[in-house]
Amino acid sequence: MSASNATATSISHSERRTLQRFLGLYAFLALLILILGSTIYYKLQKDLMLQTKRLELEEYSKELIDGLKLLHIYFDRYRTYPRNPLYRSAIYDADSVRIFSTLDDPEGVQLDKVIYTTGRVIQYIHVLDSYYLGAKYVVVEIDDDRKWFVQTWKNILLYGGALLALFLTAGLVLVRLFLAPMRHAIRLLDRFIKDTTHELNTPVNAILTNIEMIDTEHLDEKTTKKIKRIEIGARTISNIYQDLTYLILHHKIASQNREVDMSHLVQERIDYFKILGESKKIEFETDIQPGVKLYIDEGKAARLVDNLLSNAIKYNRRGGEIFVRLRPGELLVQDTGIGMDQSAIKDVFKRYKRFDTSVGGFGIGLNIVAMIAKEYNLHIDIRSKKEKGSEVYVRW
Amino acid sequence: MVGSGRRSLVVGRWIRALTVGALLLGSAQLLADRGKNIYERNCVACHRKLPVALDKFFFNYLLKYSSERRVKEALQRFLKHPTKKKALASEELINQYGLMPKTELSDTELRRAIDTYWETYKVFGKIK
Repeated sequence: MSASNATATSISHSERRTLQRFLGLYAFLALLILILGSTIYYKLQKDLMLQTKRLELEEYSKELIDGLKLLHIYFDRYRTYPRNPLYRSAIYDADSVRIFSTLDDPEGVQLDKVIYTTGRVIQYIHVLDSYYLGAKYVVVEIDDDRKWFVQTWKNILLYGGALLALFLTAGLVLVRLFLAPMRHAIRLLDRFIKDTTHELNTPVNAILTNIEMIDTEHLDEKTTKKIKRIEIGARTISNIYQDLTYLILHHKIASQNREVDMSHLVQERIDYFKILGESKKIEFETDIQPGVKLYIDEGKAARLVDNLLSNAIKYNRRGGEIFVRLRPGELLVQDTGIGMDQSAIKDVFKRYKRFDTSVGGFGIGLNIVAMIAKEYNLHIDIRSKKEKGSEVYVRW
Repeated sequence: MVGSGRRSLVVGRWIRALTVGALLLGSAQLLADRGKNIYERNCVACHRKLPVALDKFFFNYLLKYSSERRVKEALQRFLKHPTKKKALASEELINQYGLMPKTELSDTELRRAIDTYWETYKVFGKIK
């Protein structure tokens, strides 16, 4: 259960990013389509409303024109503009000069259109054949009650929202479908590692304890060398085992944080790794200030230091050097190895990312370092130059 | 002393402005009067003899040409070269009284007469 949890988290991290990116793009496209659809729908609704109102306004304009005609004929006797409380109107001459108006805002009239809404009023323009009183354009205006507008927006939001939700659900399902093979592969890999790990512990410990028990003084030089090689191999396996156990079990085991004497710990781990370094003729140089303390789980601190040291050995050249410096608040592990590009640095913390596949390993070392650093708010700074080596700073 | 000097200067400027204004107003009035005279003598005098009043013609022009600019242009065109085709009067009227004679006024005088005609019968500002 715990193992599957641990792997699930590791999948879900990368998965979530893919998911977010995909859904982001998907939602953007879906939104684009919805906006397009909504725009068309809105325009249609507006046109529909205007068409309905147009019939009414045409009636009004006819009535008004009749009034204008009478006024035109009997202008020497009557001069009262035909008015109706149902609508407001205005007349303009052929040069668009306003002759008379009862409109609320006669300035904004668009004589080149037929019917339109300003949002507040609906205006209908009728072009006369006979210019009674010199009027070529008759403008009839009624209030826009905005009911259609509210209704249209309600529909857009309601159906648009429902559609968007549908799109997103479909997108989510699609992503899960696409990611299924990847998940499967990762789960297989994780399970394989987990199973392997379980089988490693006993034999490795058996080898290591038995090597320790061998009395090398009574052996000839050749055999001592061979035994040393066996010890190096066993320690390497042991280190890998520790990493894997951490990965698989770290969610299950609660951290036992306490003040850890880092000076002591770092020195101890260097001593442990010296023998591994010897196989590549790597010299350790240390500058460890005594009494440096850090509030951390000791096992995790050991994993952190181990992984930095093991990488420094793994990616070092033959006969290279490793410099370890410890100061309050900072640990530096510097190697004289192959180094890496700036672009590669940001990827080093990814699980199963192996910078140099010619060197052994699973690519989990720096992933563990990153996990521990995150848990204890340690800041990790990697500076690297190709062919010159890398410097890893851990600061707290 | 200095203050009163400045005040007299200001007063002087006012008087000058007022004089110029009055002169401008006067000349405008003068022009309008001249237009009115031309209109009275050359248009009204003759049209008075017709059974159809001048305002009826005006409203016919309005009905056909709509705006001030277009009415004035049409009037000018017709008065300079009257033809039956251009005439807005009814056929019976033309048959009975004949087509209007070509104007003998100069372009400026004609324009002033038409302006007066427009001002007399225009609907702008008269609708209530």
